[in-house]
Amino acid sequence: MAVLELEGIRRSYEGTPDALRGVSLSIEPGEVLGLVGRSGAGKTTLLRVAAGLLKPSHGAVTIFGLDPWQRPVEVKRRLGYVAESQAVPPRLSAGALIAMHRELYPTWDRDLERTLLARLAIPASKPIAALSKGEARKVLLLCAIAHRPELLILDEPAGGLDPVARREFLELSIELLAQNGSTILFSSHHMTDVERIAGRLVVIERGEKLIDSELAAFQQEHCVAVLPAAPAPEVERLRGVSGFVRSRARGSSLYAVFRREPGELKSELSDRLQLPDVAISRLSLEEMFVAFVGAES
Amino acid sequence: MRFQIKPGDELPIYRQIMRQVVDAVAGARLRPGDKLPSHRELSQELVIAPLTVKKAYDELEREGYIETIRGQGTFVGDQTRALTTAARLERLRPLAQRLLHEATLLNIELKQVQHLIDEENFRLERARGGGAEKRSR
Repeated sequence: MAVLELEGIRRSYEGTPDALRGVSLSIEPGEVLGLVGRSGAGKTTLLRVAAGLLKPSHGAVTIFGLDPWQRPVEVKRRLGYVAESQAVPPRLSAGALIAMHRELYPTWDRDLERTLLARLAIPASKPIAALSKGEARKVLLLCAIAHRPELLILDEPAGGLDPVARREFLELSIELLAQNGSTILFSSHHMTDVERIAGRLVVIERGEKLIDSELAAFQQEHCVAVLPAAPAPEVERLRGVSGFVRSRARGSSLYAVFRREPGELKSELSDRLQLPDVAISRLSLEEMFVAFVGAES
Repeated sequence: MRFQIKPGDELPIYRQIMRQVVDAVAGARLRPGDKLPSHRELSQELVIAPLTVKKAYDELEREGYIETIRGQGTFVGDQTRALTTAARLERLRPLAQRLLHEATLLNIELKQVQHLIDEENFRLERARGGGAEKRSR
């Protein structure tokens, strides 16, 4: 049974009529899904809907086979959620916040709590407002995972953290994965983090799902052809080539991304378009992301 | 052996791991019977998802480089499992395809690829010449 099922999710806000425009997503147990997209693309909205915190305007949300609006407590008990913008009572100490969560979750693992407290070196008695961003985030993470959730949803968990804190966070996530095989849905602006942790990549652009693919496969299915910068009619001809995705001018070159086998592409560019000696190479995940959602030219 | 991965590289992480194992086996830095780190160990060491390690190991096992022994771990295989010559040759076909695709990406002609293979073969035979048995052709 899918851990999470989103069907045709639409959501509007005042001022943003199309925050989400019909997004569907299904996550199986054990999957680790990296959600990427430009700021304002709809990631946070999607994650909040997925966590049962925000009701969509249209569409169905099923978490653990349940309707989060019919069975909210049961769903919340099996789910963990961390977001950069989470509101926390500032005067509450970390220890008190953790104690609060301990009471809320029947599956709370006291041993895991202790291990994490020590491991993350969380100063339990300080008020949360006095903690650094990284420390506060760790507290929230502890609260989200010590009850061993079946689904963990993280909205930019490393957002605003310094590189050391970011790395610590990554290592903790990996340990979690290694031990529990948790199901994780997370968003990030750091493509290298996504590449390290995620098995599946979803790209959201302007409220829609642009890409949903196994991560390594996505990378391996695409290549880029580098041509000297060309006038518009040339670019039009490229569009006619099977597998054409996008093209961008960079300096005195044109970078054209294709979903195509490099050998086949080279042949076609050479034979059909009379463009011999085109340099064709693979792209890093970050470059692919920019190619797909960056400004076209 | 020490593994290293680079996220942000053009090669997916699981392929980077695979390449390092294959290189090490070919260069005799990894020998038949050597134990590889577990999924968990390698994932924690390299800070990558354990499923990525699994993907690399599964693929390597499919290609005959390594084998998993239940309850004991993952080990480098003896590289010459009891297969017919034709079957072993077929194993090489996807590699040949990949080689040619890479050559295309790098704008390298077939003649140069063949020359490269000869060079590497020469180097390998010299490295193995010492103790290991000579491969029959």
